[in-house]
Amino acid sequence: MERREAIRKSALALGGILAAPTILGILNGCQADPELTFDPKFFSEEEAWLIADLAEVILPQTDTPGAKAVGVPGYIDNMLAGYYSEKDQARFREGMEGFKNAVAETYDKPFYRLEPEAQLEITEKFHNEAVNAIREPGEGTPFILMMKELTITGFYTSEIGATEVLTYVTVPGAYLGCIPYDEVGKAWAF
Amino acid sequence: MNLNLNGKEEVTYDAIVVGTGISGGWSAKELSEKGLKTLVLERGRDVKHVIDYPTAMDEPWELPFNDRIPEAELEKFYPVQKRTGYTIRQSVKHWWVNDQDHPYTEEKRFDWIRGYHVGGRSLLWGRQSYRLSPMDFEANAKDGIAVDWPIRYEDLVPWYDYVETFAGISGKAEGLEQLPDSKFLPAMELNCVEEHLQGQIKKHFNDRILTIGRVAHLTEPKGARGQCMHRNLCMRGCPYGAYFSSNASTLPAAEKSGNMSLRPNSIVYEVIYDDVTKRAKGVRVKDAVDGTFHEYFAKIIFLNASALNTAYIMLNSKSDRFPNGLGNDSGELGHNLMDHHFRVGASGAYDGFQDRYYSGRRPNGIYIPRYRNIQKNDRDYIRGFGYQGSASRESWTRGVRELSIGKPLKDELMNPGEWRMGMTGFGECLPYHENRIWINEDKRDVHGMPTLSIDCEFKENEMKMRPDMANDAAEMMEAAGFKNIRTYDDIGGPGLGIHEMGTARMGRDSKTSVLNKWNQVHSVPNVFVTDGACMTSAGCQNPSLTYMALSARAANFAVDQLKKRNL
Repeated sequence: MERREAIRKSALALGGILAAPTILGILNGCQADPELTFDPKFFSEEEAWLIADLAEVILPQTDTPGAKAVGVPGYIDNMLAGYYSEKDQARFREGMEGFKNAVAETYDKPFYRLEPEAQLEITEKFHNEAVNAIREPGEGTPFILMMKELTITGFYTSEIGATEVLTYVTVPGAYLGCIPYDEVGKAWAF
Repeated sequence: MNLNLNGKEEVTYDAIVVGTGISGGWSAKELSEKGLKTLVLERGRDVKHVIDYPTAMDEPWELPFNDRIPEAELEKFYPVQKRTGYTIRQSVKHWWVNDQDHPYTEEKRFDWIRGYHVGGRSLLWGRQSYRLSPMDFEANAKDGIAVDWPIRYEDLVPWYDYVETFAGISGKAEGLEQLPDSKFLPAMELNCVEEHLQGQIKKHFNDRILTIGRVAHLTEPKGARGQCMHRNLCMRGCPYGAYFSSNASTLPAAEKSGNMSLRPNSIVYEVIYDDVTKRAKGVRVKDAVDGTFHEYFAKIIFLNASALNTAYIMLNSKSDRFPNGLGNDSGELGHNLMDHHFRVGASGAYDGFQDRYYSGRRPNGIYIPRYRNIQKNDRDYIRGFGYQGSASRESWTRGVRELSIGKPLKDELMNPGEWRMGMTGFGECLPYHENRIWINEDKRDVHGMPTLSIDCEFKENEMKMRPDMANDAAEMMEAAGFKNIRTYDDIGGPGLGIHEMGTARMGRDSKTSVLNKWNQVHSVPNVFVTDGACMTSAGCQNPSLTYMALSARAANFAVDQLKKRNL
């Protein structure tokens, strides 16, 4: 018997008392839920897992912290909840659904269950298509580029992003107009 | 001698100053330091230096929404104030008026950008500080435009010297006739690309120079004020007092004299004219908090409420003698409104200096003084323009349009991008009689006061100047080896320059101007106007330094005249 079918049957046998997320958990081989370091206001928990992973794909942990470690997912949720207009919220959500569906069609799994290589592969595909598309005037920014902008902005304006990944001095004291780049060594965040 | 009748003494002063911005602060300082008991009235709330700069020390990550304001909030409360694109941010939005509370009528688009609080726009200004030149004061007479200035550059020289020494102006002496040097503090540095452009302009254009911006920042400490720390967060209020503001500079000096009484939340809506003495005797005030009405009296009155609000107060001061507004025998009150026209120029990239960078955030840029129509008028317009701008290396904000994601993107953004240079022309606007304001009784503000209607536009001379403003910028960058040069021209509405001027102009003749050569209202000599309203022509320079000099000059004249019992 197919695993999916077996679960459906046992759920029926149990009188349908298994809640949907539990079924999803079993379907995915009883993997633990991803952890969230913030309480989503705009996203559902599942959407937040997607957004967090997508942000991490755009700016990953390398020898410096990645998007998750500096709090980008929470930043994006906060921007969507408080800064975006209803129209832009709807546009973002619609784009996110499109992305989610494309992932499901390709891999039969949600984004946050994919291996990092697969996550990068489909994200790059979406990203390159959006970058190369000749957009009609007035047409909105594609979801993946909205995500990219939110991720980059959230990342480099965060304390860790500004001070550890790039460089930032709260009170510079002086302006030196023309110095060897090596004396700074990294881009100024601000 | 004040008679203590009906408690009048407690509301009677030697001088009243209306407004606490750049010019009001100077009037308050000079009058009170010269021993006059001076009441300073400010329509907005009090702002104490440092204490009332709530965001001055906020880090970028501490500001909600990355310092941005949601569209719905912008549309609801700041539909006008947001038009600059830089004034309504989380970190500075508390300084600007709520447009719902302070409406006006735009007969044509006019962007009236302002803040009502102690210090006014002296807290928010761009701090660029340039003298007008002999050429600027002679221009109207030479061109047969509007009326002649009743003063010449030489009349203002000692007063420029005086206010610059107190305010602190950083810059470099260039010895130019068309842009006289100030008393300078040490100049800020140009960066590599700006210096390169400077050299190339010198080489290729014998009529043009590039210099560092002249800016009202201390580059060395001065008394209680510290030197600039190069954070470039000026508009939040400077905790070091490093840039000139009324709050950090003139009002503390006035306070120290022991002669100033500062009354915030005091909306002056009328000057009281005395038909017997033929002088103004005081002002009428509505308290912005409790709505009560008050009268204050003084021997002299300085109106420093800003070009538009000073003209408003005068237009609203009607008497049998002045049915069309105080001192309005000429019919010019509220007319000749000017601003600078700008948002035109060019930008480009520079390939060299890849191994060079800078350190610190300089609150200043470059300046290219006017060079058009100086020796002879050989363009199809009169007057001219100067440029402001700067070079910098691209930051992480370029990341969205990078073609990569993931590690390659992150690695790319670790380093700065290419050098880019932007130049914006600031052009002179002529005084046109038909560019005017008037009081609209039908539309009321949050205090129940009548509001202004504004009918103002840039005209042919300004428009003819703009192609030069774009093309010359591109030409200079091209000569200096920049690539991907693009010109732009996005004029916006008048007002965007936030240099409103001319609504109660100075002149030699009371039939064609409102103020005389001492900034006195021709027909009411104990009323002085020394804010932007007094300007007879606009020059192309940022005007605040000239308001400072005119205020100090007029205040000292007024004190002298009082002593001689001429007022």
